[in-house]
Amino acid sequence: MRKTAIHAALIIGLAAGLAACGDQAAKVADAEAEVALSEFPERPLWGDTHLHTDNSIDAFGFGTRLGPDEALKFARGEEVTATTGIKAKLARPLDFLVIADHSDGLGAMRRLYDAPRLLIRDETLLRWHDMMHESPEGSQRAMAELITAAANGDLPEAFQDAEENAKNARDIWTAHLETIDKFYEPGVFTPLAGFEYTLMPDGNNLHRVVMFRDGFERTSKVIPFPGIGDGQVDQLWDYMDAYEKATGGKVLAIPHNSNVSNGLMFELTMPGGGPITAEYARRRAKHEPVVEATQIKGDSESHPFLSPNDEFASFGDLGWELGNLPLTRDKNDSMFAGEYLREALKRGLSIEQRTGVNPYAFGMIGSTDSHTSLATGDEDNFFGKHTGNEPNAKRALEDQNLGTREGRFGWHYLAGGYAAVWARANTRAEIFDAMMRREVYATTGSRMVVRLFAGFDFTDADWKGDWVRAGYKRGVPMGGTLTDNGKAPTFLISALKDPDGANLDRVQVVKGWVTASGEAREQVYDVVWSDMDKRARVGGKVPAVGDTVDRAKATYRNTIGAAELRVTWTDPDFTPGQRAFYYVRVLEIPTPRWPLYDAVRFGFKLTPEAMADAVAQERAYSSPVWIGPAEGAAKPATALFDRKRLSRTQGRG
Amino acid sequence: MTLPGWTREPLVHFLAAGAAIWLVLTVQGEPVDPGSRTISVTREDRARLALQWEKTLQRPPTDAELDGLTEQFIREEVLYREAIRLGLDRDDAVLRKRLASKMDYLAASMAETASVSDETLQQWLDRHPERFAPDVRYTFDQRWFAQRAAAERALRQADPASEPISLPATMDRAPRGEVEKQFGLDFAEALDRTRPGERWQGPVPSGFGWHVVRLRARSVAPVPPLAQIRDQVEADWRTATAADRKEEGYRLLRDSYRITIDR
Repeated sequence: MRKTAIHAALIIGLAAGLAACGDQAAKVADAEAEVALSEFPERPLWGDTHLHTDNSIDAFGFGTRLGPDEALKFARGEEVTATTGIKAKLARPLDFLVIADHSDGLGAMRRLYDAPRLLIRDETLLRWHDMMHESPEGSQRAMAELITAAANGDLPEAFQDAEENAKNARDIWTAHLETIDKFYEPGVFTPLAGFEYTLMPDGNNLHRVVMFRDGFERTSKVIPFPGIGDGQVDQLWDYMDAYEKATGGKVLAIPHNSNVSNGLMFELTMPGGGPITAEYARRRAKHEPVVEATQIKGDSESHPFLSPNDEFASFGDLGWELGNLPLTRDKNDSMFAGEYLREALKRGLSIEQRTGVNPYAFGMIGSTDSHTSLATGDEDNFFGKHTGNEPNAKRALEDQNLGTREGRFGWHYLAGGYAAVWARANTRAEIFDAMMRREVYATTGSRMVVRLFAGFDFTDADWKGDWVRAGYKRGVPMGGTLTDNGKAPTFLISALKDPDGANLDRVQVVKGWVTASGEAREQVYDVVWSDMDKRARVGGKVPAVGDTVDRAKATYRNTIGAAELRVTWTDPDFTPGQRAFYYVRVLEIPTPRWPLYDAVRFGFKLTPEAMADAVAQERAYSSPVWIGPAEGAAKPATALFDRKRLSRTQGRG
Repeated sequence: MTLPGWTREPLVHFLAAGAAIWLVLTVQGEPVDPGSRTISVTREDRARLALQWEKTLQRPPTDAELDGLTEQFIREEVLYREAIRLGLDRDDAVLRKRLASKMDYLAASMAETASVSDETLQQWLDRHPERFAPDVRYTFDQRWFAQRAAAERALRQADPASEPISLPATMDRAPRGEVEKQFGLDFAEALDRTRPGERWQGPVPSGFGWHVVRLRARSVAPVPPLAQIRDQVEADWRTATAADRKEEGYRLLRDSYRITIDR
């Protein structure tokens, strides 16, 4: 009798639980409706689209024991205790967060960890189980073995049981979606649903973060799409199409770490060989409007091999340029062109010239790819790639055990970047739509404010008035396209320093174009820099800004550089009829990188190689603006919001 | 082979047959009894299998694939029932743990949906007022100067003109977080040390340089009454006490057992 009563109570409880989900959806919708949209984006929203929690098979294996709840609390500014027991807090909260746990084996490592030892039959799994329980280092070794096994395609069978995996994925996904809805405060803090699709043929990184625009009602109708195996990326696009069709929702994918793809991320040919078709190009551009340019595992904007005339091209390339993700395959020079974003943007123009469609017309963001549940991007507050390198005295100089061979060290990791999004309000829909129209930019962790407008009639006089409004009314913002009308394009560019960070050295425009014969070219222009009267060009180059970093104390002074750099710039070399893109790169003055802060905090000496890389110029990359003939120019995937409706009444300082 | 005499009695045959029929009917009358020897795969079951497939592969299974899934389902069901019949479930630690965690989850979700009294939430609000206090809001005008001396000169003017910079000249009822994001942490702290009024004050330092500031208002609103922010307090209380309520759900179940432990 009593048993029946309990069962009845449970069933009622469940039903009430489901009803509560419905209520929750209505609440979210109400709260979203109450958020006022500004006329145009007023300040960039800061976020991380690529964070792993203990639901990621490798994050758990590397030792992380913090889950999505802690990740969200931390991102919105609360103090949490990291897995290793250290208190962690962001000096400034983030505006949005995408937790992107690996879809493959979602939660699998935790289940292996929790399983009773006697019942594990598979020898490999038993060894990993023991290693995880033995020590944090053991856990990391188990993880390195797992990544290699995944890359080589010989994961234990127990990890490949499709039905069991799907069921576990569904349980974790549903719980996760409920959690992020609970933390969603429209207008204040926005968690978006997402996962990482971990496609990795032969260990060559073709990973994508998949990000949804929608809440529980829609996202709970699917489960994260598995990536490991002999799949192709168009299967992911099929999955995304199916989601949009079935639910009426929207979803996009963000490729990352092209720098360890061994040339496969931005190929000139189809994944299976043969020239890229217009159909393939169209699908790719539609599903992948934004690419991660910079994160903990290096920076993918440029490489000195591809851009020998660019003295700032090597940022974040060391170590990562040696081979693919687990270093199971070496890299040769011919692979770089398929890995770095500037070259990919150029390839996109060539392919567009041939097929009429640009597959690589993407915007750029930064993110962390942190596996600690902690979305840290600041050099002086770096919590590591994974729990094994949360702050400690050894992490900067240790071999990096991701993979089977030497060559990468702790100090090769960057502190991680952030995504800046020009949205009209802090809601899921506004953030997602800004990414679709590529009105976003990447930073290597600093929070500088970068504006870029392109048009044909901007002048210096625009700076005297409300130039942001003028930019939107008479031009297109970053991510937009101009139609070639025979005139050289003119740009309004402004870069404002991080209010709590370093001054600015210079602003550059990176131009790529393709000649009539289909050859892709590039040019970097210094367009405005600090103390221009004293720093005259020498041999066509602007001299270095100087260096105030005290290596012994890990400090710098803002006695050089500028608070804001602004310029109206017209392309002096424009040739009508040529397809081109323009993006802005902003450099800060030199500041200490995290290994130098570590060396001072923990009192050890960096090796000469590490010391040579211990100071760097943090930077921002805007999304490009494209120019081309009316037909086939790289059109944004969604229209801009209606610029004709901007009023003339409001002023701005 | 010889059998005892009573086995040949018709009455015994009759009773045995009756018992067998009764047993079969009883067993079949309980469709969820894993001891049943009948496996019916309903249309709903097949639909569920097809849906599971579709959710994973984003396309419906072909007829052959669905038949394969059905066979797999039957195979699993047969082996599952035989395992239950042999009592294999009783000493399997994985099963035990998995079922226990499922039940734990159910019990916790029951506690999760139980309504919470105003009294509990009021106590929570009284204990943690800082979590529900609205952000301090600032209304101010600012003018920016790269050099301190220029800012000091500007202070002497009635309507100082800013050097050009892409910062808002005016912020209206901006919450503290917003001031920090646009002007930096130092500037926000300086505003807290500034007395509101109609005159220009400063110079106030920031990461950008120097500002003269006219702080028109700084509003510290009181913590709203529970009725206004009930949802927010409830959400906070639920997150902070999730573990307690899981335990509560367990206690509810445990209380229905009489437990003896031999020592």
